[in-house]
Amino acid sequence: MSAEKHLLPPLVRRIGLRLGAALPALFCVILFTFIMMRVLPGDPAVYFASGPNAGQAEIQELRHKMGLDAPMPVQLLHYLENLATGDLGRSLTTGQSVAQDMHERLPASLELTLTALAFSLLISLPLGLTAAWWSGSKYDQFVRAFCSACFCIPPFVSGILLVYVFYYWLGVAPDPTGRINIFLPQPPRLTGLLLIDSALAGDWTAWHEAAGQLVLPAMTMALFVIAPLTRMTRAAVISVLGADYIRTARAMGLPTWRIMIVYTLRNALMPVLTTVGIVFSTMMGANVLVEKIFSWPGVASYALDALVSSDYAPVQGFILLMACLFILVNLVIDLLLGVLDPRVSVE
Amino acid sequence: MARHPLNRRTFLASTLGAGAALTLPYPQGSALAQSRRATLRHVTGGAVNTLDPTMLGSTRESFGLSMNVYDRLMTFGSRPIGAFATFDPTHLQGELAESCEISADQRNLTLHLRDNAVWHDGTPVTAEDIKWSLDRCVSANSLARPQFSSGSLTTPDQFRIAGERTIEISLPKPDRLAMANLAMPYAIMVNSRLARQHATSDDPWAQQWLQHNTAAGGAFRVENFKPGVNVTLTRHDGWHGGVAPFFERIISQTVPEATTRAGLIERGDADIVIDLEAYDIMALSRRGKVHIDSVVESNCFTHLAFNTQSAPFNNVLVRRAIALALPYQDLFAASIFGRGKPLYGADWSGQSPAPDFPQPLPFSQNVQKAREMLAKAGHPDGFHTTFSYATSQTTTAEPMAALIQEALGHIGITVRIDKLPDAQFNTMQARRQLDFYTDTAAGWIEHAYYFFYLYFTRDQRWNFSNWNSPHMVELVEKARFETDEAAYVAECQAMLDLLVNQVPLILLWQPNMDAVTVPDLTGFTYQYYRQVDFRTLARS
Repeated sequence: MSAEKHLLPPLVRRIGLRLGAALPALFCVILFTFIMMRVLPGDPAVYFASGPNAGQAEIQELRHKMGLDAPMPVQLLHYLENLATGDLGRSLTTGQSVAQDMHERLPASLELTLTALAFSLLISLPLGLTAAWWSGSKYDQFVRAFCSACFCIPPFVSGILLVYVFYYWLGVAPDPTGRINIFLPQPPRLTGLLLIDSALAGDWTAWHEAAGQLVLPAMTMALFVIAPLTRMTRAAVISVLGADYIRTARAMGLPTWRIMIVYTLRNALMPVLTTVGIVFSTMMGANVLVEKIFSWPGVASYALDALVSSDYAPVQGFILLMACLFILVNLVIDLLLGVLDPRVSVE
Repeated sequence: MARHPLNRRTFLASTLGAGAALTLPYPQGSALAQSRRATLRHVTGGAVNTLDPTMLGSTRESFGLSMNVYDRLMTFGSRPIGAFATFDPTHLQGELAESCEISADQRNLTLHLRDNAVWHDGTPVTAEDIKWSLDRCVSANSLARPQFSSGSLTTPDQFRIAGERTIEISLPKPDRLAMANLAMPYAIMVNSRLARQHATSDDPWAQQWLQHNTAAGGAFRVENFKPGVNVTLTRHDGWHGGVAPFFERIISQTVPEATTRAGLIERGDADIVIDLEAYDIMALSRRGKVHIDSVVESNCFTHLAFNTQSAPFNNVLVRRAIALALPYQDLFAASIFGRGKPLYGADWSGQSPAPDFPQPLPFSQNVQKAREMLAKAGHPDGFHTTFSYATSQTTTAEPMAALIQEALGHIGITVRIDKLPDAQFNTMQARRQLDFYTDTAAGWIEHAYYFFYLYFTRDQRWNFSNWNSPHMVELVEKARFETDEAAYVAECQAMLDLLVNQVPLILLWQPNMDAVTVPDLTGFTYQYYRQVDFRTLARS
């Protein structure tokens, strides 16, 4: 019990330090996106005041309403002021506040990305482990070829291909539009993650529908990241296999599965976990094509739509959100690394 | 030693466990609670962003939705073309109004409301509601105000309550577009008692509230609205503005990927889509599993615009040379696979054209003449220019740009192709920074004069070629308030002649709207706002 007391304060201090160190980076992100959006050609007021008969007066009115007629430093001050109160601005594309849009859409992206990550780990951990175990064999060559193939096919191609085969041709997948069958009522929102919400509500029909909708987009995303995860697992496992304790374990005649899972994989997980962090953050921001193909109401497609129409607030909000997520994910990964290997948490 | 609650073993186990839970098989044929037959599922690449179509920045899908949710005083009639129908620009009829009388001097409109008209909340529609709604159109800062001004409707004093169910509208001059403006998507009639409850001193017209809520009385009410994702409507059984709709429930869903939309229709999971890509439509029609209604978008035109205020396109001879150099037929075939109506190659010799716009103009390719014209213009060796188009137009504009580049190369003009993101394209268009580009326009009121007023006069964005012709302005002003029909026809013909003579822009074609539906869907009507009218659709 006394150990816990010693353990907690450094952990909290570490989290605090890490978050504090992230603040300047966050400010830079805010400043950079703010300026970038305004430097890009494309005037949101012109784009949105585009009804027939809408002339210069309407464009000016909209500019004023959006505060775009003020000098840039003043706009920035207003933006920071609003940020401090949690107001991310309004989206012209959806007509809602950006914070509300994010609140509605972030769970969709998170659910998709987490599922995809789970899929890719389920595939790449065994693949990497076994490829390393029999490294140099035909099987290893096959795994290498498989990874290269997965990595070569861009997600928008594999996505359309999967839709074509499993929905259009075979008819075994549900229609690739959104998170749940459109004719079904959504489970009451608690976390926004449909699998969890429907499970909590005990609505197993909705759970199965939501899970069914997840399979194809998550597979599409998973395919693309199988390669880095498998290769990283393989490399890590190979380096561990040369270690003294593995030789000892073998010499002592421990069963193969035990050596593989308990002594090898556990010790090889560190670099894999670091890669998982990077892969997760990349997937969150880069799954825009998958979201488009599967009409997934996530944050990435939302940000892309906003970018195309020069809608400043959603793009800024999205990048800020991604930056925060990136920082959080790295923190969580760091803490998990500490769990895997207590040496890491020693500062 | 005390153990940390999350250790290697539990972490691994929980990760694998979560993964395994997600791979449970997907059950087939789960029962759907709603009756599918009475539900229409519409898929679209666009998105509804507001329930109030007059909001600055509202999308075309928002206009379309509001036509099903809100009533206007008037509406255009429809006429059949084969198995489907199109709106009839020459026939205005009452929607919320039962009848409309025009005074002899054409300066007063008297509208009588339907006796049985009720709002979605069941309360009767009153003349006060109508007065408030009309006032809102001309007072609030919205898209309705500039639209209404095109019908000489500019101040609240013009609208007078003349009885419990009667409204009088007075006009400063007889304006031929006043009544048509009452049928426009912006002219929504609002339940003022309900809307006023949500008005504030900063927002006297409840614009904020009406973006995400409705105070309407149209054929459908909004059950659920997720901006950018989907909208669900249910039928309003107290609606009497037209024939009662067949469908009890409408789901309008945003599906960004055109190929996915095509797949949904072909597998029968969606019922109607109107925005597929031409190549998907060709493939669908070959396989024959869907029904396709193709109709020329009669109020729409695709064109090439010049910046007529800057060199070299400020020279009319240069514009004429380009009009002579273009391979119209090839453009039509390559760009939209011939799915539309050409607006070139007319023969006007010896007769005046009908006073219509858009209509085919007498332009055709003649490379020899084009070279001579360019030499006469002072550019015997041609010049360099840039041709621009917006990213959203890529499928049609890309082949078009390549053909134009090649054709103008033959007369010595070097064309650089510039594909611009939509927001940038629109901004440059509004700022007059595009020299030569393509775009498509659709006018809501199919009167020749209205098109000329909108697209060829004044310093505003829709004057695509930034044309400044005092003669055109004069003709448009005259035609607008013209009460003598023969004089109006003559003025429209003069406008057309001026257009052909000065070539501020080159008309190419009117694209088709292809409504792709499941085979048992009937009653599609092409509407000038180019969205689906759910009210007329039915299942056979």
